[in-house]
Amino acid sequence: MDAILELDFDALIVGGGIAGLQAALDLADQDYQVAVVEKDTSIGGKMIRLSKVFPTLDCSSCITTPKMAAAAHHENITIFTYCDLKSLESEGLVLTASITQRPRYVNPDKCIGCRLCEYHCPVYVADKEEGGFSARKAAYIPFSNAIPQIALIDVENCMLCGKCAKVCPTQAVDYFQEPENFTIRAKTAVLATGFELTPVENKQQYGNGEIPNVITSLQMERLLAPHGPYNRVLRPSDGMEPDAVAFIQCAGSRDKSMGISYCSRVCCMYAIKQAMLLSGSLPLADITVYYMDIRAFGKGYEQFYQNAKAMGIEFVKGKVATIDAGANDSVTLRYEDQNGEGVTSANHDMVALSLGMIPGWNPEGTCPVSTAADRFIQTIRPKIAPTRTDMEGVFVAGAAAGPKDIVDTITEAGAAAMEAAKYMTAMETARKAVA
Amino acid sequence: MAIQGKEGKILILATETCAYPGADSVGQAHSSYPTNTYILRVRSPVMFPEQFYLDCFAKGISGIIIMSCGEECPYEGAYHALAKRVDRVYQLMKAQELDIRRLRLTAICTVCNRAFLKEVNQMNEVVGELGPP
Amino acid sequence: MTDKKTDKETIPAKGKVGVYICYCGGNISDHVEVEKVRESMEKIPGVEVARTDMFMCSDPGQEMIMQDLKSGTVDRVVVASCAPSLHETTFRSAISRAGANPYIYEHANIREQVSWVHHGDQATDKAIRLVAAATAKAEGLKPLEPIRMEARQHVTVIGGGIAGLRTAKDLADCGVAVALIEKSPFLGGQIAQLERLAPTGDPAADIVTELAGEVLGDPGITVHTCSLVETFNGYVGNFTLGVKKRPPDTDCEKLSSLNPSGRTPGEFIPFKGFYPESVAARAEELSIETGVVVLATGFKSYTPRRGEYGYAEFPEVITLPELIRIMAENKTTDNCLEINGRQVRSMAMIHCVGSRQIPGIHPEDESGNFNEYCSRTCCSATLDTAGTIRQSYPGTRIFELYRDIRTYGRGQEELYEQAAKNKVVFLRFEADESPEVIRSNDHDDFPLRVKVKDVLTFGEEVEVPVDLVVLATGMEPNNVSELVDMMKLPVGPDRFLLEVHPKLRPVELPVGGILLAGTCQAPMDVGEACSAAAAAAVKAAVLLGRGYVELDPFVAEVDLEKCRGTGACVEACLNEGALNLVEMEVDGEMVQRAQVTSALCWGCGACVAVCSENAIDINGWTLKQYEAMVDIIVADEATA
Repeated sequence: MDAILELDFDALIVGGGIAGLQAALDLADQDYQVAVVEKDTSIGGKMIRLSKVFPTLDCSSCITTPKMAAAAHHENITIFTYCDLKSLESEGLVLTASITQRPRYVNPDKCIGCRLCEYHCPVYVADKEEGGFSARKAAYIPFSNAIPQIALIDVENCMLCGKCAKVCPTQAVDYFQEPENFTIRAKTAVLATGFELTPVENKQQYGNGEIPNVITSLQMERLLAPHGPYNRVLRPSDGMEPDAVAFIQCAGSRDKSMGISYCSRVCCMYAIKQAMLLSGSLPLADITVYYMDIRAFGKGYEQFYQNAKAMGIEFVKGKVATIDAGANDSVTLRYEDQNGEGVTSANHDMVALSLGMIPGWNPEGTCPVSTAADRFIQTIRPKIAPTRTDMEGVFVAGAAAGPKDIVDTITEAGAAAMEAAKYMTAMETARKAVA
Repeated sequence: MAIQGKEGKILILATETCAYPGADSVGQAHSSYPTNTYILRVRSPVMFPEQFYLDCFAKGISGIIIMSCGEECPYEGAYHALAKRVDRVYQLMKAQELDIRRLRLTAICTVCNRAFLKEVNQMNEVVGELGPP
Repeated sequence: MTDKKTDKETIPAKGKVGVYICYCGGNISDHVEVEKVRESMEKIPGVEVARTDMFMCSDPGQEMIMQDLKSGTVDRVVVASCAPSLHETTFRSAISRAGANPYIYEHANIREQVSWVHHGDQATDKAIRLVAAATAKAEGLKPLEPIRMEARQHVTVIGGGIAGLRTAKDLADCGVAVALIEKSPFLGGQIAQLERLAPTGDPAADIVTELAGEVLGDPGITVHTCSLVETFNGYVGNFTLGVKKRPPDTDCEKLSSLNPSGRTPGEFIPFKGFYPESVAARAEELSIETGVVVLATGFKSYTPRRGEYGYAEFPEVITLPELIRIMAENKTTDNCLEINGRQVRSMAMIHCVGSRQIPGIHPEDESGNFNEYCSRTCCSATLDTAGTIRQSYPGTRIFELYRDIRTYGRGQEELYEQAAKNKVVFLRFEADESPEVIRSNDHDDFPLRVKVKDVLTFGEEVEVPVDLVVLATGMEPNNVSELVDMMKLPVGPDRFLLEVHPKLRPVELPVGGILLAGTCQAPMDVGEACSAAAAAAVKAAVLLGRGYVELDPFVAEVDLEKCRGTGACVEACLNEGALNLVEMEVDGEMVQRAQVTSALCWGCGACVAVCSENAIDINGWTLKQYEAMVDIIVADEATA
């Protein structure tokens, strides 16, 4: 049996989303050796999947790709994608992470991202990266601005026809690739494990995600993206241009029926942004946002909200109680209208659920770091050192420590990098004092 | 199928932070556009004097699209200065009886595929209609 | 500053160009006849070799280029392949590994911008033209060196609130010397005005004492209280600040009780702050040489206009910070809260005072400003205070009048729930139907009444009799107009300092080496301000960590043989100070000539366009190079 590969770094970053990348860059720029371990096939996290971002309406790719490229090309950063963290423990002053890299069935050292395998693969699969609205192949590059641009084969759907192996100019396809285990040892770690959307399947009142033309907020992002699946906004059931679109706020936040009592902090703003983009691409559509409180608290956010109101987007105070399929693929909402109408119902052609955030990672059984009642990672000095966890040398950044928007995430990632750098400086000072 | 470029060449000055990666994004989507388009990567189009544009037309370029970053310009004040310069170029073009539709200032983001294609196709129509300068 | 210019003699001005064209495994060669491109390139005078490879980015492909460089066959390199964003750095580093200057490189994009968008003969023709144009540009390339400037391992933090303290301590912990400048005699800033911090309940005094204690105990940090920055010069890595330390001319009474006989330095004084040192008896001037400046100038609490919800007209109307202070200083165990000797049986707390103002609905202040922004912290602070009152003084009824409850942060929603559970009554109003605070009739038991149209009960007009009205006032940036003028700081429409980009460079300003920390940038709570402060600290550590600052060499350069000293470029320059006219001797005569300060030059080229003599250009991107490329594009035969 082969000995397990052991790699030494100064810092380990768990998660290659925007938080992890920013923390990695801020450490690598100080000449620390950094490993970034990402579970997905590409770095970039949720942010690279977004259309435009509030409140500046910059295209998200334009902000994310420079940081992705900077990290990928950085001489002090090594990126490991498609990896599972099996354990992260501290032994004395060393953190040890056991990692398994899942097989891509493509040798990453040989693949040059030419996409010939993708062009020749005969199998079409619904593309999750496009909200399931378009298809990809079973041999594919994850998405156009993925880093690394390395193909992988989706074995669930591959029919082993061998075409990809035949056309690959570098013989990179390897159907027999095995998972690879390795160990990373580091002095410090930053947990940047991000978030997932609250699962709509758990919300019976909203149809468990099965009502046609009720889509999630990330699906709406793809519909609105300048390089999205349809190149315009169409409702999925029949390709009709929707005339009436609704956004339902607090779908999976501030909702005890789903066990999520906290505010997810970003949904108000992203819904307002989506509503604005939508009114740009469908100028005649009626757009309604159903909400409890609009939480436009960040820099420039309130002004953004007021602009949306001025653009004619309708804001209705009221928590939507139920969602049902209506006639002609429409969607019927029932809600209590706080303007005196009592329980009211309304029909829309398409409805977007502004889903909240749940933790992207549960450390239980993997890492002894504590989580709080909200299941996000606990911070022990939330006021003066907001990125410290109860595990020595381990810091947290971004949505791993509770829902957060991109601005706050990036700032916090810088703060986590600062804590990690301080921790390593103190270690070094202590080591010198002993020596 | 190849899209035939109309008579006349189109010069595209594309900013390295926005429009140039935007053109790459069009390529990644494998969208087609006319071949008579020549994209030059620039840090900021503010560097080109009025005469540069006139010289281009004199040399035989039929249309120029300045694809800038717009308000997202990384150099504060450069977009404003550029817009003013383009206005002056328009005056000079009028004086030389050059149709001012041959020069266009626009903003293209890194994934603005549709906007890119629209601009290119529009300019192609214009140079097709006007012929060489 | 060591702005080294490479010896221009090392390689000839007109180069020996090597052109390397990639098949990209069919991605390019399926639509572009790569060998035909190569043949065309070989015909160009000045092209020494033209080669092709299946994958130029592969090790063998790179090796081929390196060999040609090492053997002296070529001294300029053009690679025609995919988008430069993918492999420009790859090829530049291959050139470096071959011992050549990486800036003798030009990239031709024939995949994303040719083979993926065009097909047939026309694709090949276009590829030939683009590669030929790149070759024309490459001939005009010269070796460049990054601009390297020595940087002082020293940071100056302006502002001794929580953000300033956090930044100072973080940097000192990384071994960077810090000067902390605070205008008042105290450390701790606005937090000292608080009793406890929502939602954690941390006592403000503990937080300030802990952090101020760490800062004062750190030998790497020099704290200057009662000090103001009066002059500012230099650029990143090399700033000089003139600082005036003077005896405080305000708060004299307070200070006389502290110094010299009263309090001892090293103590937290409630509602003042941490008192670190005896205040200066006489004015004193200091000069601080520093590498990076961090602005942590903080906020001030909004002061309601006279008559705004009855403020300053009725003594029973106070602000939330005033309430917090009164409560802290008069702790009682009664059933009812007591304010200024009067029992509070019923009180109203009005949200969004001085925040979320809407032009056309709210009046502007005397300078014509609106605070359109949300102040972010007041909802939680109000709910926390309401909860505390309801628990300690069950006899005091509370009405909260709000527009939206913004308990967004971790642990904040619980404050909202807690307040509701403690029977705080919530009334919701629309922005254009603000509550009214009016004096009650003489025979009324309560001095004031608050009238509001409550959205929660379908717009019912509600009148609440109260003993006290508390205004949840928002944040305004501290007035730092002197620093803004002196350091040319950008200010947003909200009057807070404006970062370069909220996501790309959230704690940086366009002026290199000047950073933002905390509420001078936007409203934040304590945790958020500390995060922002640490993020500023890490940026400062990155800037100074190597002992020098390295900048791209793509900056303007003046050709002194052509420069006539008209000053047009100086006027067009977008970053003040990057271009100046200086006196120099040319042919025994004193003349004025343009001079570039590379450290300040953005390389945008605004100067290039306005020089009638073509005497200024951007290194690596010259106007001549563009003209050469256009000539190729318009030529009848691209390679003629």
